[in-house]
Amino acid sequence: MNAVREKRSTSRLGRLGWLVAAGIALAPLMALAQTQIYDSKTGKWVNYDKKKARQLYARNKQLPEAFQRQIVPFRTAEAPGTIIIDGNQHFLYLVQPGGQAIRYGIGVGREGFGWAGMVRVGRKAENPTWTPPPEMVARDPHAAKWAAGMPGGRPDNPLGPRAMYLFVGDSDTIYRIHGTIEPWTIGLDVSSGCIRLNNEDVIDLYDRVDVGAKVIVLMQGAALYKGV
Amino acid sequence: MKRRASNFLVSTVLASVLAAAGAQAADLVISAPNWPSGQATANILKIGIEKTLGLAVDVKPMGTMNAFVGLEKGTVDVQPEIWRPNFDDLVRKYVDEKGAVTLAGKSVAAWQGLCATPSAARTIKSIGDLGDPEKTKVLDTDGDGKGEMWIGAATWLSTGIERVRAKSYGYGENMTLVEAEEDVAMAAVDAAIATDQPMVFYCYAPHHVFQLHELTRLEEPAHDAAKWKLAPASDPLWIEKSSATTAWDAAHFQIGYSSALTEKRPDVANFLEHADFTAEEVTQMSYALGVERQEPLEFARKWVEQNEARVEGWAKP
Repeated sequence: MNAVREKRSTSRLGRLGWLVAAGIALAPLMALAQTQIYDSKTGKWVNYDKKKARQLYARNKQLPEAFQRQIVPFRTAEAPGTIIIDGNQHFLYLVQPGGQAIRYGIGVGREGFGWAGMVRVGRKAENPTWTPPPEMVARDPHAAKWAAGMPGGRPDNPLGPRAMYLFVGDSDTIYRIHGTIEPWTIGLDVSSGCIRLNNEDVIDLYDRVDVGAKVIVLMQGAALYKGV
Repeated sequence: MKRRASNFLVSTVLASVLAAAGAQAADLVISAPNWPSGQATANILKIGIEKTLGLAVDVKPMGTMNAFVGLEKGTVDVQPEIWRPNFDDLVRKYVDEKGAVTLAGKSVAAWQGLCATPSAARTIKSIGDLGDPEKTKVLDTDGDGKGEMWIGAATWLSTGIERVRAKSYGYGENMTLVEAEEDVAMAAVDAAIATDQPMVFYCYAPHHVFQLHELTRLEEPAHDAAKWKLAPASDPLWIEKSSATTAWDAAHFQIGYSSALTEKRPDVANFLEHADFTAEEVTQMSYALGVERQEPLEFARKWVEQNEARVEGWAKP
């Protein structure tokens, strides 16, 4: 039905979350799962990796159909306005009335940065300032240049045009739902634990979501249980 | 504007006075637990008693533990859903030992076990299938080759027992058992169903998830008390020391009320003894409040209206 799936045989990070959730601490296991997409030209499922994603995006100028914004049937007890993030399948659902949701394609955290749990949108910002985390400043000279913060509105600002800051109670987590300057990375595990949407989608979501909205990050896959 | 403001003030004061008067005038207090069907039942009992017996009834939100204390002290008269065996300790103390609380004779059947989404149920039909790594690898969402399964919230007593069962049946070897809040797990079920993904998880009924989704309960050997050897949960090693290789015992819940009512308000005690709900009705209540977000009191008014003859029957000796 959906032209995207997870290849289950490939090792993937995410284990830490399950184990922490189960109250057991282990060192992170480093590996990435492989998303696959359906290539209608060849009629085959193909690995959807960074290279393939970039090729397809260059060719089609848009994301694979599964990752494009769409209204889908979605039955849930959660109230309209709730965000449900399925990092394993790279979908973000915004619950709508009448058993439906708006589904957006997302890029999620690479190894060591995933998480899962219940949070809320604590703050929203247009053209947010990007402040790279210290560990990124240490390893990336480009990030180091902007250690004090890159102003919002620049075309190279990795947060894109909108950001929603995820809070536990009144405390900011370091996680955000934001845009991207690399739209082909939607559907991949590439960000620093944040949830990224393409810029059109993040603007659409931003306009629909209120501060205080409940956000549920599911347990599966890339999502690690951080204890939030 | 000023006039409107002063009117508002007058109405607010009036409302407070009336509310205070209402609180004082209540003949009966029903505690309402924080789960949807319990809230619905509390309000159905309130409307039913007000309508048939002409009493003023208050519904007060509180936890089961506090409700039992209130039932003994006389500050609470009714608790609408006392789950067994979950609250057996409280029942032993307040019903069997102190005699302060009476359990109504009618009960609603409940159960707990493991459920599968349609996609999972195609390959996993029984508890035995969970022991086959070839079958459970479809439940793998983190790529380590082992399937994951939600077994409950960390605070639930049942979650530890699910660990015991996984260990005793043996599927704990080839599956990763996950604890998380129920909201996270239920949203995971919603997302799995929306994309036809396989998922197996701890489930209990009545629950609105069965109204939302088509789910299959995994088959397992019927409960056998002789095969449930649970060490006391106060022992830090109780999970390792326990064993359970059959299904859970059937559960049920019933209305509890202050034993003093039998003397003080025998008509109320009689009403509560007759009040009966089916498991299907309880699921519908849970769905109406939990999913459709109907307001409990409004839902109860409609319910009583639609079941008028039956509710009147509860009031008859």
